[in-house]
Amino acid sequence: MNKKNLMLLLLLLLLISAAPLAYAKDIKINYRLKWLFNTSVAGDIYAEAGGFFKEAGFAVHVKEGSPEKNAINELELKRADFGVASADQVIRALDRGAKILVIAQLFQVNPMQWIYRADQPEIKTLQDLKGRRIGVTFGGNDETIMNTLLAKAGIRKKDLTLTGVRFDFTPFLRRKVDVWPVYRNSQGVILKDKLERERERVNFFNPADFGVNFVANSVITSESMMKNNPDIVEEFLNALLKGWEEAMDPGNEEKVLKAVKKFDRGNNNDIRKKQLDATRTLIKPSVHIKIGTIDINAWKQTESIMLGEKQIKKPVYIETRLIWKKEK
Amino acid sequence: MLFRRIFQFLIVYIIGIAFLLMIKMALSLSNYVIPGVPLIVETAGQVFKDYFFDVMSTMSVTVLGQCISIVMAFTVGIAGRKSSWMGSFIKVTAYNIQAYPIVALAPIIFILLGDGFIPRLLIASMICYFPLLLSVLGIMATPVKDIEHFYIATGRMRWQLEVKIRAFENLNKLVTVISGSATLAMAGTIVAEFIAANAGIGYSIRVALYQSDLAKILVALFMIGIIISIYQGILETMGEQIKIRWSVSKQGEAL
Repeated sequence: MNKKNLMLLLLLLLLISAAPLAYAKDIKINYRLKWLFNTSVAGDIYAEAGGFFKEAGFAVHVKEGSPEKNAINELELKRADFGVASADQVIRALDRGAKILVIAQLFQVNPMQWIYRADQPEIKTLQDLKGRRIGVTFGGNDETIMNTLLAKAGIRKKDLTLTGVRFDFTPFLRRKVDVWPVYRNSQGVILKDKLERERERVNFFNPADFGVNFVANSVITSESMMKNNPDIVEEFLNALLKGWEEAMDPGNEEKVLKAVKKFDRGNNNDIRKKQLDATRTLIKPSVHIKIGTIDINAWKQTESIMLGEKQIKKPVYIETRLIWKKEK
Repeated sequence: MLFRRIFQFLIVYIIGIAFLLMIKMALSLSNYVIPGVPLIVETAGQVFKDYFFDVMSTMSVTVLGQCISIVMAFTVGIAGRKSSWMGSFIKVTAYNIQAYPIVALAPIIFILLGDGFIPRLLIASMICYFPLLLSVLGIMATPVKDIEHFYIATGRMRWQLEVKIRAFENLNKLVTVISGSATLAMAGTIVAEFIAANAGIGYSIRVALYQSDLAKILVALFMIGIIISIYQGILETMGEQIKIRWSVSKQGEAL
């Protein structure tokens, strides 16, 4: 082999070895959400669409969730690296031996609330629930929250009517159920809008106003991920929370809605805008609260509620699984 | 027949559970993702009674739904057996209705009928009825030329006689299809309960799914399997009895 050929060969080898390096710059991450794409996951969508993940060196595949597509299962099966799960899912999984950690709390206020018509007496105290027909999703966390509220107020179940509900609002629209569980920033907006078109006003009943702080969606990862790749966890979380901060900034509203629209085709622009407004108040209720802050007391209360409701058999000491707050 | 059915189901169920447990062990999964045997047994102890009544509730709808679907399938099948315009219209209408997925129709059914007993029955019948209809149409639209020719030639053929001849000559097929449709009726009822009901084992599975409680779901599947095996075994035994009686009466007529 002459000198010229040797140089060419070396150059070729250099090019071949450099190509994967350039390509491998983005670390592939799977991120499983709790529910379908809609405005309530605006920050997750915007972290990707706004290039925050890319900037941090990640190629993130943000996937929709559903009751069947559970982030905790996906983490254990190594199909996802990060996920979103509600506090009851996390605590239940810990009770059954799952090795997961909570790294950020997305919702500072639980969006699970109840809607009722304003022509009905306002719910000022828990005693005002008496005599009403209240919807709950049997098996869902709203049932647990309602049971806790009733126990707190000393209301017996025979003092009101608990009715099982699902996604169809018809029983509420037909006034067969007075107080209907909704996610305040998604279904709540849609129902409010629907009723306002019929010239009916609505109120929302928020359990947090009555001292029941049941934590909602949080970002989770596996113990092994945290142990083996703490840098990735930190960088992913920074990028994600940056995406959320930017998405919740009213100045970016137009860009955020445009990004959400690509995924959420079920709602119109007006609804999406209202949903984004509602989401802001739940994710960042005050300028002083940093997005992602873990409310340890609320988590402890959630665990205690679930213990009281016999949804878990033993304490899981949830505070030992909340990582982000401690490190910061 | 009955015990064979149950035994066969137990084999399938145990193989399924063993497969899940192998995955659990191989991937070191927690009880949250795949429950271990002690947890399944413990859960069974907790929910057995409730789930038994749930399955029986589902079963009652299944049996009724299957009866309705048999009547519907025979009515439409007999009416649509002719190659006339009306026969063809009935067939096309029946096919078109079935083309809509039940999950899409369920909200409409739910709005019209609420979430009680009737929607469960309706959805169970709709899911069960179409495969039955296809078989009934196939049987009723195919002439038994050797026998029918005699009655046509002698001018004694009536539609009732035509239906009887075709049913008699295809009795084995009909019994198999009817006993097989029990599974569909059960599946239809469970789907209905899952999406638009507040009772039955399908509803309990939905609640367990909300809690990501696979142990409860496995217990529910076990109970569904056992009960449907018993029901199918009974149907098959009944079918055998009917066949024996009919063949005896046929032999008597021949003698």
